[in-house]
Amino acid sequence: MSASGIIDCHVHLHHNWGDRFACAELLLRGADRMGVELMCLSMGVRREIYTRPTTVEEMHQHNDEVAQVIARWPDRFAGMCYLTPRFLPQSLAEIERRVAHGPFRGIKLLWDMYCDRPNLDPIAARAGELGAPIQQHTWIKAIAEHRCESEPWRLAALARRNPDTTFLAAHTGGNWELGIRQVIDAPNILADICGGDPEMGYVEMAARMLGTERVVYGSDAPGRSFASQLAKVHGADVPDADQQQILSATMRRVLDL
Amino acid sequence: MTATPIIDCNANLGNWPFRRTAYNTPDALLERLARVNIDRAWVTLLDAVLLKNVGAANPWLAEMVAGHDRLMPVGSINPTWPAWERDLAECADLGFRGVRVNPNYHGWTLADPVFGELLAAAAGMFVEVALHMTDERHHHPLVMVPPVAVDGLLAACAAHPTVPIVLANVKNAPATQLAREAAGDLPGNLYFELSHFESVGGVQQMAGELGVERILFGTHAPYYYPESSVLKVFEECDFADADLAAITHQNAERLLAV
Repeated sequence: MSASGIIDCHVHLHHNWGDRFACAELLLRGADRMGVELMCLSMGVRREIYTRPTTVEEMHQHNDEVAQVIARWPDRFAGMCYLTPRFLPQSLAEIERRVAHGPFRGIKLLWDMYCDRPNLDPIAARAGELGAPIQQHTWIKAIAEHRCESEPWRLAALARRNPDTTFLAAHTGGNWELGIRQVIDAPNILADICGGDPEMGYVEMAARMLGTERVVYGSDAPGRSFASQLAKVHGADVPDADQQQILSATMRRVLDL
Repeated sequence: MTATPIIDCNANLGNWPFRRTAYNTPDALLERLARVNIDRAWVTLLDAVLLKNVGAANPWLAEMVAGHDRLMPVGSINPTWPAWERDLAECADLGFRGVRVNPNYHGWTLADPVFGELLAAAAGMFVEVALHMTDERHHHPLVMVPPVAVDGLLAACAAHPTVPIVLANVKNAPATQLAREAAGDLPGNLYFELSHFESVGGVQQMAGELGVERILFGTHAPYYYPESSVLKVFEECDFADADLAAITHQNAERLLAV
């Protein structure tokens, strides 16, 4: 990829857009139009992930689908290995299989378990050894939606116990004015701005309170538009150099590109 | 980003109580929109939503936009309060071309008779329904307001076919719900403002489902970054020039000509 190419740290496959390849092709069309060169991809098109906890077999199936997409478009997707920390030995084995030996570049955690629980520590420690970032879904919701949905403060607790691991606070807690504050004191957490409404002030506040080098662009496509999420950066009142840092440079460092 | 003239059918002035809003004065808003080549905007007053006496917002808004020809004020009405007809008449006297309602914040639904009463009284004006103001998942814990349900909307449109009805801040799901309920025959007086359409290529998908002639360009600025709608329409989608012209200004101009 080019030296300044946009890296989207957060996309998925999703059942609303067909099978894994059809969905990946949609992502590629959108990315091409918006100048996104590399996408960090996690989770397959299975529906159950939104309604009940995932089994070990389903965890493997999610990652198999992502692996197939990466194999077809290795220059456009970087795999994030989905784990179910309730099944710790199997999750650690999945790290060895997919991340330690490639081709996955990082780890994806959703709402299988609150992320401040002890089961997460061996996962975080191994990720740190491998230099693999952990992307943890975080959301602070006024209305409960998913079981074990972690707030950013829980991720901050995990991050403080594992200072050598890089974490991405996906969605920055959704309620970003609060979420940004919850991760301030955990310098190994980056704010992944994906997946919420393009509310003015988001990136400005994150850059001001965390530092530009701790803010990264992600979209949550295909459910979200690349465009609406890129607007958070392109529309932010921050210098062009800071926009470039958010769109590309920091993730380039995190992924060791 | 584009040389196509753009009318923003969903911009705002004033203050929202739960966040300090930038670019919320007429001059600042126009300057901010001009950065993305938006030349004109229909504007509501954010403060109106949570005023008790909503009608007081209308002369306030008229005063704010006075002398700013590129801003077209849209009034606010709460049709559950006594003498709302006077507020509507005042909007007409002030030269407003349309009014907005926030049924969820004011305790009524689109299936209630009061909506029909408003449409019947709104001759010569359009009526805009804001389905959301902000993401319900992040509402202040003491002010949690669910989105407006669109149940009953099609019947109201059919009963008042000469009144243009605009759904502002409408997401994909309720728009799709209406398209399915209408089974391919959406009322000709129903319009959809696009600031809240999402997914990759989502605006084009929704234009296909709803009809490009019903789509109005809007940003929800300055609550949203206006770049969002511009990038969605001009960069992520692949509209023909004629469709772009319809979405960005012709549909709005046709609506106002009714």
